[in-house]
Amino acid sequence: MSGYPKGNVLIGCSVIAFALITLLVWIPSDTATGIVETVRRRTVIGDAMAPSLAALFLLVGGLLLLTAERRAASQPLPSREAVVFALQIALILVVSLLLMRWTGPLAAALAGEEYRLLRDSYPWKLAGFILGGTVMVAALLVLAEQRLSLRVLVIALAAVIVLVAIYDLPFDDLLLPPNGDV
Amino acid sequence: MGMLDHAWLGVLAVFQGPAAFSLFSLPISFTLLLVFAGFVLGIVVGATPGLAGPMAMAISLPVLISIFGYSSDALLPVMGFLIGVMKGATIGGAVPAILFNTPGTPDAFMTTLDGHPMARAGKAGKALRVAHFSSVTGDTFSDIVLVLCAPFLALLVEAYLDLPEKTALLILSLSFIAAVVGGSPGKGLISTGLGLLAVYVGSGEDFYPRLSMGTETLSRGFSVTTAVLGVLILGAVFEGMQETFHDHRRQPGATTHALTGDQVLRFADIRRLLPYIGQSAVIGTLIGALPGIGSTLAATLGYTLGRTRHQKHQPAGAPGFGDGVPEGVAATEAANSAVSGANLIPVLSLGIPGNAAAVFLILAADSIGGFTPGPSVFRVPSEGINPELVVAFGLFTAMFLANALNWTLGGLFMRSMGVMTRAPKHILLPIVLLLTLTAIYVQEPRMEAILFALAFGFLGYFMRKAGISPLPFVIAFILGGTLEQTARQAFAATGGDPFFLFASPIAAFFMLAAVAVIVFTARKPVT
Amino acid sequence: MRTGLKAAIAALGLFAMTTAASASEWTPPGPVKLMIAFAAGGGADTQARLIAEELEARTGWSFIPEEATGKGGLTMLASLKDQPADGTVIGMAVTEALGYNMRSADMGLTPSDFTGLTTTAGFQMGIVARADKGWTTFSDAVAAAKSDGALRFGVMSPKLDDIAYLLGRAQGIDLNIVSLKGGKEVLDAIVAGDVDLGFVAGIQSKGVAAGDLVNLASGLSAPLAQTPEAPTLADLGVTPFNADGYFVFVAPAGVPQDARDALARAIAEIVNDETTKAGGLVKKAFGGATTIMGAELDALMAADYESAAALMEAASQ
Repeated sequence: MSGYPKGNVLIGCSVIAFALITLLVWIPSDTATGIVETVRRRTVIGDAMAPSLAALFLLVGGLLLLTAERRAASQPLPSREAVVFALQIALILVVSLLLMRWTGPLAAALAGEEYRLLRDSYPWKLAGFILGGTVMVAALLVLAEQRLSLRVLVIALAAVIVLVAIYDLPFDDLLLPPNGDV
Repeated sequence: MGMLDHAWLGVLAVFQGPAAFSLFSLPISFTLLLVFAGFVLGIVVGATPGLAGPMAMAISLPVLISIFGYSSDALLPVMGFLIGVMKGATIGGAVPAILFNTPGTPDAFMTTLDGHPMARAGKAGKALRVAHFSSVTGDTFSDIVLVLCAPFLALLVEAYLDLPEKTALLILSLSFIAAVVGGSPGKGLISTGLGLLAVYVGSGEDFYPRLSMGTETLSRGFSVTTAVLGVLILGAVFEGMQETFHDHRRQPGATTHALTGDQVLRFADIRRLLPYIGQSAVIGTLIGALPGIGSTLAATLGYTLGRTRHQKHQPAGAPGFGDGVPEGVAATEAANSAVSGANLIPVLSLGIPGNAAAVFLILAADSIGGFTPGPSVFRVPSEGINPELVVAFGLFTAMFLANALNWTLGGLFMRSMGVMTRAPKHILLPIVLLLTLTAIYVQEPRMEAILFALAFGFLGYFMRKAGISPLPFVIAFILGGTLEQTARQAFAATGGDPFFLFASPIAAFFMLAAVAVIVFTARKPVT
Repeated sequence: MRTGLKAAIAALGLFAMTTAASASEWTPPGPVKLMIAFAAGGGADTQARLIAEELEARTGWSFIPEEATGKGGLTMLASLKDQPADGTVIGMAVTEALGYNMRSADMGLTPSDFTGLTTTAGFQMGIVARADKGWTTFSDAVAAAKSDGALRFGVMSPKLDDIAYLLGRAQGIDLNIVSLKGGKEVLDAIVAGDVDLGFVAGIQSKGVAAGDLVNLASGLSAPLAQTPEAPTLADLGVTPFNADGYFVFVAPAGVPQDARDALARAIAEIVNDETTKAGGLVKKAFGGATTIMGAELDALMAADYESAAALMEAASQ
């Protein structure tokens, strides 16, 4: 190990790799027009130009990290705990969003109704948001406090009810999740 | 109608707009009410560690839009509220910095250096008064410069910049922001590149949604709301959670220090502090006018130059900066507050945002419609009125209104905010998360929006963990569409000249400067 | 509560005249989603929201407006196509989206995937320039192009791009055609001097009346209401193409006839009534409502889609 941190080398190399893949594979295969194209005998800028510029920014940025900033004093990287933590909240979010999306439609189906037509009437329209939202906040609080308590559930439910009061009660046109998707 | 007629109409629009209620038979307009409400909210969130002005702006925006609708009548109340939040948060941030040594906002960090020692010495009341006075003075100075400069700059741009020059100016802004934000040009460029790439997904001129990998999900691209709130707000929330969750039980009980002696800000104090405030206000304004540099650097510079001045003027052995002298608080607070007004110079005259607060003002204008920040705002028509110019002057009026509130009530509110600093952050953050997700869904009612925002949130989280500032990402995302459009138009308008960016001296100069700023900062990395 | 009361009143009314036309009996089975293909805050978006507001007030049905912008209206249409065809999902776009844009995008959509409800207003599409250019009619612009070289011509859609190209060819002048994002942007570019002239679809009227702007030509098959002496595209040698276009409400294909009639009639009544906010807006911006519906609208949509192919063919030569 030589005497300087390796964070910038690591970030630089990954960004350069990503930029090259974007520039050489992704953009050419996923845009309908090239860097420039000819329409009615006029040359115009095509849809690949702007993304290529973006990739160029990434490429130059990565190269700078490998050269001028290779020995910069501060080169932080995400720690292992930071990654584990991200996975934990991602899991909580996935579960609570699934509840939010499907509680209403599922309940309606059990009652032999079509949720789409009920999405503007109580209590159907709030079922998913209240359950999913409460689970989301409560689970995050449990993660913070490392124990499940009634207090946590009460805080979560209260927060969700306040949100319903802010967004749903006063406004006819606002849709709480998941009522715009059905 | 000339510029001054528009200015008067703007003032009237604020005071005589639709009335919310009457006070002593005097109608109080919605705009007035909302500036006040935003101001109070701003002080509260500024004083609460873990919450910040942009967060409050982001979350209130959809609620405000639903109240006031998508009409140009909505612009002044909604943007007035955001301006109120911006101003309130600036002074609120000093409260926990002084009382508990924890800055409420990042730019209040330098305030802790002298503010907290003052509080420990029983001078908390005085420190808060010094902070308030310096902050408001710096802010007001900056706003005056804004009102004088923005129309002038906009008219210059209109008169001298054609499409190719406008394209080059946008490229220069992006490269400047990449170079100066966060202190690492390499990482700044990466952040900018990612922001550009994100905004180009699903957009484009052709009917095939580019970079959508053939999927329906990506074909509509990412909305500004999901990207900005995701990277800026959710990223900060995730990071805050990660930091607080593990050590929230080890939080030191905040100790209050009893007040001793004179807490009043005397005229003699003011006379002694004014040179420091003046010097810092100029520094803050200059830095604020350049997009992207931000209030943290302004505070640092103001503090450092204040210290130099202090050393020169004080006898040897007298307490210096860092020992709890009011001059230290004044130098910092005047500098970081002077950034906020000047930051709107590039926003209003060029449409280029320079900090998070400016980003949300642009987002508000964009969501409501009818006001497109940029040089066209300041155009004076030969006959009739330019409604955008009226709105611009209405915004200026709202800013001075917020300043007036700041002068009169700000100090009082500020000194009563000590209690907010004890709000349990680990409970607030999950609620802010759900609140933000709901706000996003309300604006864009589909589950994909929430998923995109969360993905951007994790991107923002890991960028922060890797020392990559998310601000260039957000600014690039906002400017990316305009950049591509302007470039296409410039290319078409010049009849397909491949060297249109270098054909005129001004454009060529901008392009050269864009490269030079990267080369210069990369050769001498700021640490 | 409010909805219930309205329904009760409506039921009473029906009871009183049991022989009334059956079309008015249709009510949506749930809230109606209104997908708007225009950016928030613009004139078109405002029009759609005002119509929805008035529909709610008049019929007691519940409407939920939603933005679905992008790709010249195709984003909205692609998503509308797969929605339930029972009158609970409708969309607002311009006829050009169902014509030229749909044809040109070639993404498997055709006008027959949709049920046209009604148009609300036609564009007053003019070719506009700043008055201080000194041009009073299109031939002055042609003369300027012939003596000073290429003119910058602002357009806001691919169809207008093609038409502008044909116009330049027919007049033997060089036009550098600049694509902008909407009528407001074209107008801004004209005023700022970024382009010399361009297509603007109605919002030029205030500037023309004030004498800041001039309508050099009509982009329509007919003369402009405000400047009837300006030549039409046909007069300028661009045949048989024109930039006629309308705002149009559509639903997915297969909407029952009674739902189609009820929705179309309700919308048309509102825009034709100048005392409503929506009707007033249409009157102010477009000189009055144009409500084409039923078989006539079907024919219009089909013809637009067909002529788009001919326009693309002509412009590619």
